[in-house]
Amino acid sequence: MLKLSLKSVAANKVRLTLTALAIVLGVMFVAGSYVFTDSLKSAFDVLFEQEGATVDLVVRAETDFQFATELGTVPDTLLAEVEAIDGVQTAVPIISGFAQLVDQEGNPIGGVGPPTLAFSWDENFDDVSALTLRSGRGPEGPGEIGIDAFTADAKGFVVGDQIDVITPLGVETFEIVGILGFGDADNLLGATLAVFELPTAQRILDLEGKYNQISIMTADGADIPTVQAEIAAFLDEGLEVVLGEVEIEEGREQVDQGVGGFNTALLVFAMIAVFVGGFIIQNTYRVIVSQRTKELAMLRAVGATGAQVTRMVFFEALIVGIIASAIGVGAGILLALGLKSLFSAIGFGFPSGPLTVLPRTIIIGMVVGVGITLASAILPARKAARVAPLAAMRDTESTYFKSLRKRLYIGLGVLVIGAAMLLIGLFTEIDQALLLVGLGAGVVFLAVAILAPLMARRFGQIVGAPLPRMLGITGRLARDNAVRKPRRMAATASALMIGVALVAVIATMAASLKASITEAVGSEVSADYQIETGGFADPTMSGISVQLADDLRALDEVSVVSVVRYGAYRDPVGQTESFLAAFDPEVDQTVRLELEAGDFGRMGPGTVMLHSDVEGFGIGDPYPIEFPNGVITDLEVVAIFGASLFQIDVVISMEMYEENFDNRFAAMMLVNVAAGSDPVAVRPALEAVVGEYPNAEMSDKEEYVDKVGAQIDALLNVVTALLAMAILIALLGITNTMALSIIERRREIGLLRAVGMTRRQVKRMIRWEAVLIGIFGAVLGLVVGVVLGAAVVVAIGEGIKLTLPWGQLLFYLVAAALGGVLASLLPARRGAKTDILEAISFE
Amino acid sequence: MTDTRVAARVVGGIKIYGEGDTEVRALDDIDIAFEAGKFTAIMGPSGSGKSTLMHCAAGLDTLSGGAAYIGETLLSGLSEKEMTLLRRQKVGFVFQSFNLIPTLVASENITLPIDIAGGYVDQEWFDMVTGTMGLTDRLTHKPSELSGGQQQRVAAARALVARPEIVFADEPTGNLDSKSSSEVLGFLRRAADEFGQTIVMVTHDPKSASISDKVVFLADGRCVEELEGPTVDSILERMKSLGG
Ligand SMILES: Nc1ncnc2c1ncn2[C@@H]1O[C@H](COP(=O)(O)OP(=O)(O)O)[C@@H](O)[C@H]1O
Ligand SMILES: [Mg+2]
Repeated sequence: MLKLSLKSVAANKVRLTLTALAIVLGVMFVAGSYVFTDSLKSAFDVLFEQEGATVDLVVRAETDFQFATELGTVPDTLLAEVEAIDGVQTAVPIISGFAQLVDQEGNPIGGVGPPTLAFSWDENFDDVSALTLRSGRGPEGPGEIGIDAFTADAKGFVVGDQIDVITPLGVETFEIVGILGFGDADNLLGATLAVFELPTAQRILDLEGKYNQISIMTADGADIPTVQAEIAAFLDEGLEVVLGEVEIEEGREQVDQGVGGFNTALLVFAMIAVFVGGFIIQNTYRVIVSQRTKELAMLRAVGATGAQVTRMVFFEALIVGIIASAIGVGAGILLALGLKSLFSAIGFGFPSGPLTVLPRTIIIGMVVGVGITLASAILPARKAARVAPLAAMRDTESTYFKSLRKRLYIGLGVLVIGAAMLLIGLFTEIDQALLLVGLGAGVVFLAVAILAPLMARRFGQIVGAPLPRMLGITGRLARDNAVRKPRRMAATASALMIGVALVAVIATMAASLKASITEAVGSEVSADYQIETGGFADPTMSGISVQLADDLRALDEVSVVSVVRYGAYRDPVGQTESFLAAFDPEVDQTVRLELEAGDFGRMGPGTVMLHSDVEGFGIGDPYPIEFPNGVITDLEVVAIFGASLFQIDVVISMEMYEENFDNRFAAMMLVNVAAGSDPVAVRPALEAVVGEYPNAEMSDKEEYVDKVGAQIDALLNVVTALLAMAILIALLGITNTMALSIIERRREIGLLRAVGMTRRQVKRMIRWEAVLIGIFGAVLGLVVGVVLGAAVVVAIGEGIKLTLPWGQLLFYLVAAALGGVLASLLPARRGAKTDILEAISFE
Repeated sequence: MTDTRVAARVVGGIKIYGEGDTEVRALDDIDIAFEAGKFTAIMGPSGSGKSTLMHCAAGLDTLSGGAAYIGETLLSGLSEKEMTLLRRQKVGFVFQSFNLIPTLVASENITLPIDIAGGYVDQEWFDMVTGTMGLTDRLTHKPSELSGGQQQRVAAARALVARPEIVFADEPTGNLDSKSSSEVLGFLRRAADEFGQTIVMVTHDPKSASISDKVVFLADGRCVEELEGPTVDSILERMKSLGG
């Protein structure tokens, strides 16, 4: 049997190559995700090792927030006390925060994703961190700075140059005295770096009298636990002293978590690609089996049992699966390598380290690839076993029509199950809701795939109706050929449906979000201008210098400037972390808060304003909250608001924010021009001030809406790009189906050629057939996607109104049709070359 | 018999398959002309080059040497596309089997060459041809709903409906029982008589060949005999004398 399988694989090379390609791509994506993220992890390990080798103890604030980018602080008076302890050889105070560099043209560098890090420098810094001096020296005076090697190279900065830096306090100019790297990487995954001498770092980050931590190296022979205990003895509450390894381990965990999350995200897309690949493999095997009915029946006739035939098809799939998966794993390694260089090239410095190919990666790649191939081959293999010896001479398609009703019921049943999973995941509060939603979507896709053959024929006839009119007999044949094998058409289209549906879900969500934000901005923003940073920066890590607010207030043309900041908080009961906003008292003059109860004027220390979405709290109720600095307190609810602009549930006063958070950047400023001033006329005056702050962007309402829209679109594009692999595989599926159909219809095409059909007409016929399949897949996908997207939007609630992106959906439809054209290029060429004589000669 | 115009001819036709040791001369310097308005039968032992001759004369294949003409058009001078256009305008085909497109009904199969060319169907002519073929009540049937004989008649109607200069039929009754066979042959004969259609038919059955105006005998890729006004007996006799 194995021998027969091998022979069969060899004989079906062409058909199987395309199938194998689908597996290769899926496995490549899976393996590539693992190799890439593992390499990332091991690169960080190298960094941590450099750092961890020397630091024995760390004194710091206790904080265990996941979201918070704040480290907490220790008083600087601790340093002397720590140094006085026997066994402490060196104690290095460290400040770390965020500051953004500015290039020679006055444009901010970075800040569109990766953080813009700022550190204090110490003569011992080389020892206690992964930072290494590349050239020059560490900053020693108030006007000196060290920057990362990537920025220096990219922007052409050298030691001795002047550089502007955006700090929470304003923009200052420093002289570059040193260039640094992270280990041997030029930067850390796109993060920029600015290092200052300690007092300067304290000053610009508004941390005077404080350090973020003290790293300690003990003397040779000192007993570290003893030293640790001695330090612990005089630490205030909220501070702690931990082993260096503990800190490293925490860092490593954080990286693992971050990289793990990244890996999971990539794997989700990889699994979608594999899932789509499964459709194609199944379809291919079904067609191959039905095309080989004669051969299989003959095997049966000469005495092979049904089980043997099943085994043969199964072995065949095994061989294809193993070969394709192995190639896929190899291709995945190359993909990771490519991604790595791509990341470096676009400025996401990747600490160098070997490409990490763990046995786990190879095993998962092989298991997934072989598994999906075998799983997809099961049904066709069983069908093969049922081929009756006598069916040899008959050339009919499967018993599709007999099971029509059964298919309908099964399909509807599966659909109900999928919909139930979705609804439970979306509308009830359960653990793993996201996973359930994902699986539910998968089940819905399956259900639609099961039902699709019932719609294929009618769909093809209706949508294909104009074809005969447009193209005459060529169009007529294209349409008829498409719907000729409804199951094949449906299976091929279903693969495409999945990718299109997911893109449509994302597009629907994006459009709804955009529309809601547009509306919220329109109705809730009363300010004339808004100021934010450009790009995607995390508002808790970067932002605009608060000095800008004062500069603007100094203008006669300005009446009000309000400031908004963001930070992390934790619900001490449920232990879930989320983000809050801090408003200064003027915010209600620039934004319509839609107050539903209470009084915004009572905001101050110890009070909180909640969004009306937060259930269970009324005016005067205590609201428990925990800040990243460890403070747990009950705040009095003084107002309930309904504005959805900030997408935030909890608002505290700026005073309380400054008490509990270290971030001194402003996330957003809202500006009202003075009464009687024309906003348009005074804009240049405002811009002149804002222009002093390179990362601040001022926009009016309309521009702001555009800006938010552009950010959402950027996100949409990233997701769409990740789904491209699934769509590419689906298009391969169309190619595959067309190629198989053309082999099947060789004689027909030969006959058409003999009676006068030109090669061009043959190509056109094949092309339009593929287009119809593509459109069918796209329509299924768009319908499923819009429904899913709508469900998600409704489930999210929070004032997001469902909006359908008609233009985009139409674009996807056209793109799918064009994808069909693309997918049919090779099969059409091949079909046009059909040898007439061979096709019509009597066998 | 006054019209001796030639509808198609092959002059010094050579067709070689393979190379070196495996070389086969399927046509070996063959000269043959098919008179317009005549029904010519081609006979000969299996492998004598009948199909090859037909393919080369009809523009489905190209000669290795010599020249083939349809009307006055030299086929070897045509591009692939010109050849295709020529086939659809000037040539009709009936093959031994698989003549019809399964997704099209009989009438659509019949008008296929015209539709492919984007031309107009002459309804009167169509009715006449299908009427003559006895297909009037079968026009809306799919090929799978037609008997073998009906399918070949549809194929014959398709070959005729575009009014080609010449119809080539390669063993059109090879797969049929004798009753269906004689039906199809009868219609081809009528097409020649009533429409003046030039027909070239390959067959190895003397009875089939006897309805033609002239039988050409092939052997080893050459014309070895011609027989005008054949009868079954005279054909059998020639076959014997040719050492069949
Ligand atoms: N495509 C081909 N390749 C090689 N040899 C061929 C091919 N087609 C026909 N022949 C050979 O050419 C000769 C004539 O074939 P053919 O014209 O089909 O004969 P007939 O139709 O009279 O039976 C035979 O020897 C046959 O084997
Ligand atoms: Mg022959």
